[in-house]
Amino acid sequence: MDGAKVTLGRMAGLYAGAAVLRLAVFTLIPGLPDLLTGRVEISTPVTSFKRLQEGLFLYNHNVSPYDGGVYHQAPLFLPLFSLLPSFASLPIFTYLLYIAVDLVSARALWRIADSGEAVSSALFTSPRREKRWSGLVIAAVFLFNPFTIATCIGRSTSVFTTCAILHAIAKAVSGAPLGAMVALSFASYLSMYPLFLLPPLVLLCYDRQRPERATNSPLKFAAVCASAVAGVVAVLFQLSYLVTGSWEFLPSTYGVQLTLSDLTPNVGLWWYFFIEMFDSFRSFFLAVFWLHLSSYVGGLTVRIRRQPLVVLTLLLGIFAIFKPYPSISDMSLFLAVVPLYRHVFPLMRYTFVSAAVVLYASCLGPAFYYLWIYAGSGNANFFYAITLVWGLGLSLLVCDLMFAVLRDEWEVERPEMAGKEIRQI
Amino acid sequence: MRQLLSFLCLSLLSVNVFSAAASAADSDYHEQLNLRPLPQSALLASFNFRSNTTVAEFEKGNFRFFPRSLGQILQHAGTRELHLRFSLGRWDAETWGARPWDGAREGGTGVELWAWLEANTDDEADHKWLTLTNALSGLFCASLNFIDGTRTTRPVVSFQPEGDHASLANMHLLYGVLPHEVVCTENLTPFLKLLPCKGKAGIASLLDGHKLFDASWQSMAIDVRPICPTAGGDCVLQIEQTIDMVLDIDRSKRPRGNPIPRPPSGHDLPCDTSKPYHAHDTCFPADHTANQDWSLSQIFGKPMKGVPSTRSVFVSEGVRETRNPDGLSQCFEIPPSTELEMALPVPEDATLPVTITPETPLLYAERSFTGHGQERGGVQTILRNPSPTTPVDFIYMESLPWFMRIYLHTMSARLSPTPNSTTTTDQTDLIQQVYYRPALDRFRATQLEVRMRVPPAATVVLTYDFEKSILRYTEYPPDANRGFDVAAAVITILDPNQEQQEGGRRIALRTTSLLCSLPTPDFSMPYNVIIFTSTAIALAFGGMFNILVRRFVAADEGPEGGLAVLGKLKGRLKGLKGRLKK
Repeated sequence: MDGAKVTLGRMAGLYAGAAVLRLAVFTLIPGLPDLLTGRVEISTPVTSFKRLQEGLFLYNHNVSPYDGGVYHQAPLFLPLFSLLPSFASLPIFTYLLYIAVDLVSARALWRIADSGEAVSSALFTSPRREKRWSGLVIAAVFLFNPFTIATCIGRSTSVFTTCAILHAIAKAVSGAPLGAMVALSFASYLSMYPLFLLPPLVLLCYDRQRPERATNSPLKFAAVCASAVAGVVAVLFQLSYLVTGSWEFLPSTYGVQLTLSDLTPNVGLWWYFFIEMFDSFRSFFLAVFWLHLSSYVGGLTVRIRRQPLVVLTLLLGIFAIFKPYPSISDMSLFLAVVPLYRHVFPLMRYTFVSAAVVLYASCLGPAFYYLWIYAGSGNANFFYAITLVWGLGLSLLVCDLMFAVLRDEWEVERPEMAGKEIRQI
Repeated sequence: MRQLLSFLCLSLLSVNVFSAAASAADSDYHEQLNLRPLPQSALLASFNFRSNTTVAEFEKGNFRFFPRSLGQILQHAGTRELHLRFSLGRWDAETWGARPWDGAREGGTGVELWAWLEANTDDEADHKWLTLTNALSGLFCASLNFIDGTRTTRPVVSFQPEGDHASLANMHLLYGVLPHEVVCTENLTPFLKLLPCKGKAGIASLLDGHKLFDASWQSMAIDVRPICPTAGGDCVLQIEQTIDMVLDIDRSKRPRGNPIPRPPSGHDLPCDTSKPYHAHDTCFPADHTANQDWSLSQIFGKPMKGVPSTRSVFVSEGVRETRNPDGLSQCFEIPPSTELEMALPVPEDATLPVTITPETPLLYAERSFTGHGQERGGVQTILRNPSPTTPVDFIYMESLPWFMRIYLHTMSARLSPTPNSTTTTDQTDLIQQVYYRPALDRFRATQLEVRMRVPPAATVVLTYDFEKSILRYTEYPPDANRGFDVAAAVITILDPNQEQQEGGRRIALRTTSLLCSLPTPDFSMPYNVIIFTSTAIALAFGGMFNILVRRFVAADEGPEGGLAVLGKLKGRLKGLKGRLKK
């Protein structure tokens, strides 16, 4: 009783602190939101708030926003933001919406942390399960992560995807498969790539079914889940069709991600590769890159079958590196779920190196971009090199986490090996 | 019928372009040269050539004065009306005043083409447009074939057909512009070839590539339009070729044999005698000499000479002279087979007005980029209405390349604060209507038409933001860091009296073109980038694959790895050594 009160008080304090911090940044530094919106590290062609405003402007003036090269975001954003008071006159409502989305994401993360799924899933319980952080700490790490704050201040629409993904996971661990599937459909509808999270999420739902409503046939369960996702996505598409009046939005929203026709720089590996790609090989390499991105799903799901949440975490990290238009908001989502694995941190070998590399890239990225675009004293290779470093640093982190988790699993079979030198054959 | 009439009109103080006496349908061919001195020792020479053919003859393929080469292209491409412009330089409206022909015969820098095509569908119109641009490209030695879908727009309100068309239902207006095209003599030669005498006789004999492209501003125009007399009768197809050029008299008079400019010797310097310190040994150079003496052969490099009532003009014999009743201009009708020379001496009467005030244009427009860096920028157009009483209504049209991603929601017009401004116009009135068609990457250009009103004696600043996209490396021209040309904005001023009627007097003016620098990749390293990125991906994938598929064992367990093999090898070597020692 008392404990619940304390938790509630802490939760309120944390949320209030995070909200006040964001609101203070929004209002006290009025130039910052627009500055961050313009940063390529935060706003990609598919998440930029400025492009959203342009799409909204065209939508409100009866010009199809998809009949142009600027707006590549989901159609349902348009009525949502039209409902808000105009951003130009009353920006506070937009700020409040973004802050609320961040808090809702933090709440979902809190629930995931509290469920203890990360340390003890249905098929596996970590020997190190005692050593974990509470939901409060994990939510605080998410809310006060500079990447999260920058994304929120930059008003990138990827916060909605983040929120939907975290909710899908939270629903899954609390034994509500349908809710998880609906949330995942929303995430996929907004950004497409979360569709790859479906297999591990279905497994997670399957493992965490409520005993009274459990089915024993995994195939049947997967089919139901997949059809639920398909159904919800179809409904969303139909709604979008009603809103925009045509199917034009499909090529403009998802086609752009598939074909990478907009080559605006970002922190990922795709843009420069496809600027420099020979025209005759463009389609081939697009196919290869997408195949590469999807190849992780099956492998990880099968190999780490006992911990589906680990698969989801690793996939989020992989997407933050290899998806077509990544931004630091994907990084912030990955960093939000990594602290769930506090118990395997001691098993990670390159924490310092990867943290240093990520910090190095975060500091030098904006500087090199400035040298290329504004000062003219550097060329595109400067920023490209930094995105390579960023990608390598992140992949080192993902690999390291994967290693730590697998070793943790292995030590269940070989408890005597804890803390000993090992190797892989 | 076969009357070749040449007119030479000269206006000194005149502000009106003198129109030829012969009406359009009277004769088959008509040519006219209008010379108008402008302030600062500039001279505007407007050449105008007009040929007619009846539509019936044209359709039968009987061409007389109408150029056959162009006529067949028009027939093949189903073109009902054609306007083609080749321009170079900038019209200095602050000094030179209003534009010749109300701006209707000029284009923005580079090449501009717009035509009304007869087609049933948009696709058919596009197809015919492609045929037309490719054929014209060959005819005029210009890169008109580069006017593809990404440079073509379909303006809604900016252009109106000049000719008389029975119905506009099946007519498609397409507009294409090539701001990067450098207009040069290779475009002049085919232009002159379209004339009946191929530029060998008449006023066209004055045209010379060296002089034309040395001008401060020049514009070549071809307009083809059907004209049906209101009284009834046969419709005629008219081709009008116009060349306007602004020559710097001082520069043109430079001797041909000695083209290198040298400082004039002291006694040749024109001095400003009004200065108090002017004396026999001091000279304050006058920047521009008014009322200079010149002759046709001096400024065009060829004989043909001429001028007005307040200044005496010497012309060759046999030239019939008509004076305009206002006393400000004079016209000469030149009979065939006469060589014309015209000289304009320095006026003896020193009290003549030194400067001529040209007609004030209805609107001054200036366009420029704002912001810095290669990521984003803004466009700012300053529109100034000089008239103290009447507002100006106009349509501002931009045709922007797709790689300039404009944000329409940032477009705003505001009244620039002027010290003596008393206007209290509501600022929302400035923009009245917007026609916008956003660009599609690699397919279509942005088309923006804004109907605006500038209140009297006010300056309006129209701004919007845009973002510069980065292109694939094969899409950059060889001189990628020079930047990309952005076509001139076309401003069409609507006549306030005939605003609603079609065919009301419209005055056009164009801003200068702009140079937009895009971010560039490193062109030298496609292979390196492919290799580096692939390596990064391979490292990540390989690392994860390794961790996923290999088994964990303790460091001292399992089969011997690489290091153990090395140790074994060492032992073997030692053994071998020992054996050898034995």
